[in-house]
Amino acid sequence: METFFTTSDQIQHIIKSFNLTKTLFVSSIIIGEAHTGKKTLARYLFPDTPLVSGINDEEVKEALEKYDELIIADFEKLSNPNSLNFNNKRIIATANYLGNATLIDDLFAFIYTMPPLKDRPEDVNYLKTLFVREACSTLMIDEETIDISNIPLNLTMNNKSLKKSVFLDLVKLSMETPEIENIIYQYILKHLDGNDGYREHLGLYERPLIKAGLKKYGSQLQLSQVLGINRNTLRKKIYEHHID
Amino acid sequence: MDINFESFVEWDNNPFILFSSQGKILYLNNAAEILFGYVSKKELYNITLSYAPQNFGYKTTTLSLSYDSFIFYAITVGYENEEQISLRLYNAPRIQASQKLETDKFITTDINILLEANIALFQTKNKNILNLLADQDLPDFKIDQNNFSKLLRKTLDAFRASDSIDISLKLLIGQHVMIENKRISIVELSIIANGRYADTDNEIRALADKSQIKCLLKEHMIKLEVPLVQ
Repeated sequence: METFFTTSDQIQHIIKSFNLTKTLFVSSIIIGEAHTGKKTLARYLFPDTPLVSGINDEEVKEALEKYDELIIADFEKLSNPNSLNFNNKRIIATANYLGNATLIDDLFAFIYTMPPLKDRPEDVNYLKTLFVREACSTLMIDEETIDISNIPLNLTMNNKSLKKSVFLDLVKLSMETPEIENIIYQYILKHLDGNDGYREHLGLYERPLIKAGLKKYGSQLQLSQVLGINRNTLRKKIYEHHID
Repeated sequence: MDINFESFVEWDNNPFILFSSQGKILYLNNAAEILFGYVSKKELYNITLSYAPQNFGYKTTTLSLSYDSFIFYAITVGYENEEQISLRLYNAPRIQASQKLETDKFITTDINILLEANIALFQTKNKNILNLLADQDLPDFKIDQNNFSKLLRKTLDAFRASDSIDISLKLLIGQHVMIENKRISIVELSIIANGRYADTDNEIRALADKSQIKCLLKEHMIKLEVPLVQ
């Protein structure tokens, strides 16, 4: 069975409440930002329950007629939720946002809010370890050789951006000149057009160069010497690329 | 012929109390006995004196009195000598439920589970401390689980900013409600705190009405009287 890890009190209470109502015919909805684990939680609590998506109204209607127990994901995408009849059914819905509050209030007995990852620091740590393991296995990196404490974490899109930041960081670790060149090659192949291409894409090289250089050498004077360019030229480029 | 009226008074649904001139209870019928669970002897005696007729005889006054869920619309105070004075309170009629209960659609439920689940839901949003005193031996009974859950959620939500919330769930002994000519026991859920929001009172009333639950909404308290339909 899939497990659902969390140290958040709020989610523990949600799980407790669901476990209590598992055998009852009530309608519940979990509302929270995208990629916070709503569907995973519903699946974990109701592993054998049929699941439909609100993207398809007809499918939801048919499933409601057929089953007494149903998970409806993406509830906010339903175009006509008014017409649904949840009487004497066990409904577990998930939605990325509340939408029509009165309607949700009318339809659902239990309305839960899933906290975003940024409010769950311990869960972030756990998920990070999980993603690092996954990334190491996928990229065939020895887990022992990396320092995961330095991975910059992006939580703006919860699990999705967290996972992406872990993968990107580990990919970076394993990259050498040919791979970096290849990435820029692919990028330029896709984006090059217009009549000012040289200047537009120069930043791809100059921005990281100057940023890294400033971090490493501290002063512009020293960096200009290391780069072998005039101090005024460096200052101009810093201004052009909006580097602080 | 000597007629003994005592048992008729005894089983009258309207409370009847006979006080001595010192305010001691000389006699009370069954309905009055239940009423004394909610109001003090002193208070009723004071009312008796305040509304007593000036001379020997009987006087009926129309007024509005309420103790907990008991509501009275009139009282009669009477005395024929200096030793005894009587008080009779007239029950205000209960409003007939507008909807018929579709009990065949209901599912037998352990109310404690529904209550606990709703408390867990409440705790996902609030940090308030709840004290729960529940009778774990309440029999399962039939209820519209979804509607009742909504009612519980709204009721608890009214206490979202309250401190010291006390929840109790118990069988009301000796009290019944008639639904479709059947005598049905009542389970009382009461939530008391230092204060509460009243913004959803109308919604609470509507949801309660749907399940034929009598609700009592006071400043510091909400009481739900749930019929124990078997």
